[in-house]
Amino acid sequence: ARTSSGRPRRKNWMKLIYSSTLTPEQVLIGDANAESAQKNIEDEDDFFQIKRKSEPEADETLDRAKNPLRAEELQKWGDDQLLDSIRNLFITGHDHP
Amino acid sequence: MAQSNVLQFSGHQHLRHRLVLSILSGKPVKIDKIRSDDKNPGLRDYEISLLRLLEKVTNGTVIEISVTGTALLLKPGVIVGGTLSHDCPLSRSIGYFFEAIIMLAPFSKRPFQLTLRGITTDDHDLSVDLLRTVTLPHLQLFGISDGLEFRIKKRGAAPAGGGEAQLLCPVVKQVKTLNFVDPGKIKRIRGIAHAVRVSPQFSNRMIESSRSVLNRFIPDIYLYSDVYKGDESGKSPGYALSILAESTTGAIHSAEAVSQPGVAPEDIGLLATRALLAEISKGGCVDEKHQLLVLLMMVLGSEDVGRCRMGPPTTRTIQFLRDTKEFFGTSFKIVPAEGADETAPQLLYSCYGVGYVNANRSLA
Repeated sequence: ARTSSGRPRRKNWMKLIYSSTLTPEQVLIGDANAESAQKNIEDEDDFFQIKRKSEPEADETLDRAKNPLRAEELQKWGDDQLLDSIRNLFITGHDHP
Repeated sequence: MAQSNVLQFSGHQHLRHRLVLSILSGKPVKIDKIRSDDKNPGLRDYEISLLRLLEKVTNGTVIEISVTGTALLLKPGVIVGGTLSHDCPLSRSIGYFFEAIIMLAPFSKRPFQLTLRGITTDDHDLSVDLLRTVTLPHLQLFGISDGLEFRIKKRGAAPAGGGEAQLLCPVVKQVKTLNFVDPGKIKRIRGIAHAVRVSPQFSNRMIESSRSVLNRFIPDIYLYSDVYKGDESGKSPGYALSILAESTTGAIHSAEAVSQPGVAPEDIGLLATRALLAEISKGGCVDEKHQLLVLLMMVLGSEDVGRCRMGPPTTRTIQFLRDTKEFFGTSFKIVPAEGADETAPQLLYSCYGVGYVNANRSLA
């Protein structure tokens, strides 16, 4: 299952969206949940079981248009080199940075 | 026959766009297992409020909610619009409601003049500033423009709200086919900083820290400090910076950051600015926040091939694409965009519009 870990492979979006049963999350991050699902089955040998949700208990995923801002991740935009790397996207920049 | 065309869904997620698609397509929708495993099962107050609002803007809509609140059936009526107002609960900002309404309003019988009251800016939904400066221009891409206006009458920060905004939306017969594949280059940056019930200096401090980063890129930067005083400033203190970058072809990328306890205004300004740069670096003609709106209008477009260049779909968008196929039978062709590199993977979305005609429109 680790064959694709190296380079980012090109996704077939149409196939993933329209003719697969993966959840939207799985479509985006790749189907990495197959293993953990297997593990859950082995644990279940008691007669009574606590009903678990498929996702770990966390805040409910809200129907929201804005993704939460991750301050740590955005920290990288303090770097001058990175800032210069997107200069070409502005009219004042040149095509080849 | 009546039962056979009811579309069935499960779960609380994606509720909003499913209701919108149901009303636009005229197909009844049944949604069950709404938080049925939750400690606090059933619909939330803001979802109930959304249903009430949808009932208000339409005529003949039948909504049945089960006793436990975990299932609902919506039989859509016609969108009538007109002059209406609605008080939104404080659990979500009014952006949550406007985002859904904006998808319906152009296909109404009468032009919308809808006033919503509640929280005007929060972390989850588009703020009134982004709705006005970013969402409305996206409607204009589809020929919805004359008389389109968004007025921010009062601001209201969380938790107590007290804000008020009004959407004026004209009625169209049909939406235009979109052909938006050239992202262009960023030519100007605009921003709105506001601070209510705190020192007005906070706006300037956000603007200053934002400028310290942006000044290197282009000279055409205008960050506006929007002042609301007294009764117009809501019931709670708060501040935010909403910022957008417009390209030579009219592509708009936007970001915003809202005040958090214990974080200085300078840091909020930086956060918004960096989020904007991250958006710009992703490229494309439409940002993630507006994928749903643009894709929906493309589906409804006249019977021609609409095309748009955007980044990869978000999880919401993926489900939206699947649901759109259920309601309208339209699927998109999604292929890597020409010249897109590995760092900013962009896709070309194209579809054949269903030629949706606004049958509600009153012929005057």
